[in-house]
Amino acid sequence: MIFDSYEAFRAVNFTAKVCILGSGPAGTTIARKLGAAGIPVVVLEAGSREFSDDSQDFYRGVTVGDPYFDLDITRLRFMGGSSNHWAGWCRVLDSQDFEAKAWAPDTGWPLGCADIEPYLPEVQDILELPDFRPDVPISDDIRWVQLIKSPAVRFGEKFADELDRSRNVAVVLSTYATELTGDGKRVIAAKLWSNGQDAGFFTADYFIVCTGGLENSRLLLWSNQRSNGGVVPKATALGRYWMEHPTFEGGNAILADYSAFEVDATNEAFFSPTPAAMERLEIMNFGIRLIQTPYPGIKSLIADLACTAPEMAEWVSYQLSQNLRCAAQLYVAWEQAPLASNQIRLSKTDVDPAGVPRIELHWKKSELERRTLLEGLRLFGTTLVRKDLGRVRIADWLANGGDYPTNEELAGHHHMGGTRMGTDVTKSVVDANSKVHGMDNLYVGGSSVFCTSGECNPTTTIVALACRLGDHLSKVIGA
Amino acid sequence: MSFFTKKISRRTIMQALIALPALSLFRKLPDTDPDAIVEVNGWILKRSDLT
Ligand SMILES: Cc1cc2nc3c(=O)[nH]c(=O)nc-3n(C[C@H](O)[C@H](O)[C@H](O)COP(=O)(O)OP(=O)(O)OC[C@H]3O[C@@H](n4cnc5c(N)ncnc54)[C@H](O)[C@@H]3O)c2cc1C
Repeated sequence: MIFDSYEAFRAVNFTAKVCILGSGPAGTTIARKLGAAGIPVVVLEAGSREFSDDSQDFYRGVTVGDPYFDLDITRLRFMGGSSNHWAGWCRVLDSQDFEAKAWAPDTGWPLGCADIEPYLPEVQDILELPDFRPDVPISDDIRWVQLIKSPAVRFGEKFADELDRSRNVAVVLSTYATELTGDGKRVIAAKLWSNGQDAGFFTADYFIVCTGGLENSRLLLWSNQRSNGGVVPKATALGRYWMEHPTFEGGNAILADYSAFEVDATNEAFFSPTPAAMERLEIMNFGIRLIQTPYPGIKSLIADLACTAPEMAEWVSYQLSQNLRCAAQLYVAWEQAPLASNQIRLSKTDVDPAGVPRIELHWKKSELERRTLLEGLRLFGTTLVRKDLGRVRIADWLANGGDYPTNEELAGHHHMGGTRMGTDVTKSVVDANSKVHGMDNLYVGGSSVFCTSGECNPTTTIVALACRLGDHLSKVIGA
Repeated sequence: MSFFTKKISRRTIMQALIALPALSLFRKLPDTDPDAIVEVNGWILKRSDLT
C-alpha cells in the first residue's frame, strides 16, 4: 500500500510491528524483506513521489573544512531517495576492507565479507547486476577490478507497484520523522511532521532509521539531545568517523598494450592495490579509473614525453604506427582514513521548517590519504612500466605537492560513517547486527554503519547489509 | 675560542665541508640498471627510456 499523506494512512486500520524511516535503497530493501516474511511494516518517507524544491530545502546545511558539495545537492529527498539520481556503479566492498589495517587507526569491521556474501544473489536481482567476476592481478601490486555499470535502479519506480499491492508494507509519503523519543532502552515513538505541521507520534515495536548517510546522524543526534540520551545511550561516536570517497584526476597514461585488461563499453577500466601492496606502503585502498581519451589527446602527451624521455617517445611513436591504443586520464578515488574529527554536528543557528537543526558537516582529507593518492599512482605507473603496458604521468599539482584542485569531481556523493558498526561503544554506535548499542528495538540501515569505506561505490554493500538486516529482524521478530 | 676550533684549524673544517657533497655523491653511485624505475617531470619511466 502506498499512501500519499499521513492523513490518508490514518484513515485505514493498519498496525505496524516495524517502523522504517526512509524509502531509499536501504529502507525499501528492508521493508520488502520484512513484508515477504509476513511482518507488518510502515515506511515513513519525508518526501512525496516526485522531486520538489520545498522538500529538498530540508536537506540544506553547511560544510566546514575541505570544499564539498552543497548538502541539498548531494542527495535527494523523495520516494526512492538518492537512487533517483545515482549513477548505478556497483561493486561490493573487498574482503580486505573488513579487516583492520595495523597502520590506520580505527579500521576493521565486526563482521567479514563472508557475512554478506550469502546475500549477493539477492543484491544482483534487486540491482539488476550480471555476475560478479573475481579481480585479476596484473602485478604483485595492482589488481584489475570489476566495477559494474548497472541500469541504475530507481527504487521508487521499480518497486512502486509491488509495494502498492503489498498487504504487509504501507509506505506513507510526505511524512517527516522529526525525532525519535526513547527511554534509554527502547524507542517509544517517532514524532511526525506532515502537511506543514506537527502530526503527533507514531508507535511501533521496532524502529529502523534509513534516512541516508548524512541524515541518519542528524536525526539521531537531535533525538538524543531532545530525550537526554534516551535514543543513543552510548553516543561518543555518534556523528563521527564520517567518510567520503575523494575523487581527483591524478594523472595521465600512454597505453600500448591492453593484453592484461579490457576497457568496458564506455572505454574505462578500474584498478586497485593488492592487500600486500597496501600493507607494504601503509596506505589506504584506492581505485584508479582509467578513461581512454580520444586519439588526438595523445599528441600533447607524446610531445611532453619527447622532452623527458626520447627513447620512450620513440617507443611510443613505434607503437603508434603499430598498435598504440591511446592516451588515458587517470582518476583516483580513495578510502578515507576514519577520523573522529570528521563529523556531522547539529547547527546551533539554523533550523529547517520543522524546527530541526540543520547539518554542520566537518570534513577534511588527511595526510595518509594524500600519500595513498601519490603512492597509488606510483604503484600503477610502476606496474605499467614493468609489464611494458604503457607509461604514467602524475599530474603537476600532485607531483609538486600543490593543493587539491577545486574545479574537479571532489568526491563520489557517498556518505558513510556517523553511526558506525563496532564492538567498542566509544568508537561505534551500532553492533554487528546494526542495532544501536544499549537499545532493544532501534536499528540503523545504510552506509552510515560503515566502519571503513573501502574504495568502491557503497550502494551494493548497503543493499547487501539491508538484506542481512531484513533476515535478522525477521528471525528476531518471528521468534 | 671553543675547544673544537682550537684543535682543528678553520681551513681544515672548510675543506671537510666542501668535500661533503662529493663524498655523498660517491656513496650514492648513479643507478645504471636500465630497468630501474625513475620519476622525471611526473613521468614514471624506466631508466632506459631516458637514453
Ligand atoms: C549524484 C549521485 C551519484 C551516485 N552514484 C552512485 C553510484 O554510482 N554507485 C553507488 O553505489 N552509489 C552512488 N550514489 C550513492 C547512492 O545514491 C546512495 O548510496 C544510496 O542512495 C543510499 O541509500 P539509502 O537508502 O541509505 O539513503 P537515501 O537514498 O538517501 O534514502 C533516504 C530516504 O530517506 C528519506 N528521509 C530522509 N530523512 C527522513 C526523515 N527524517 N523521515 C522520513 N524520511 C526521511 C529521504 O527522503 C530518502 O528517500 C550516488 C549518489 C549521488 C547523489
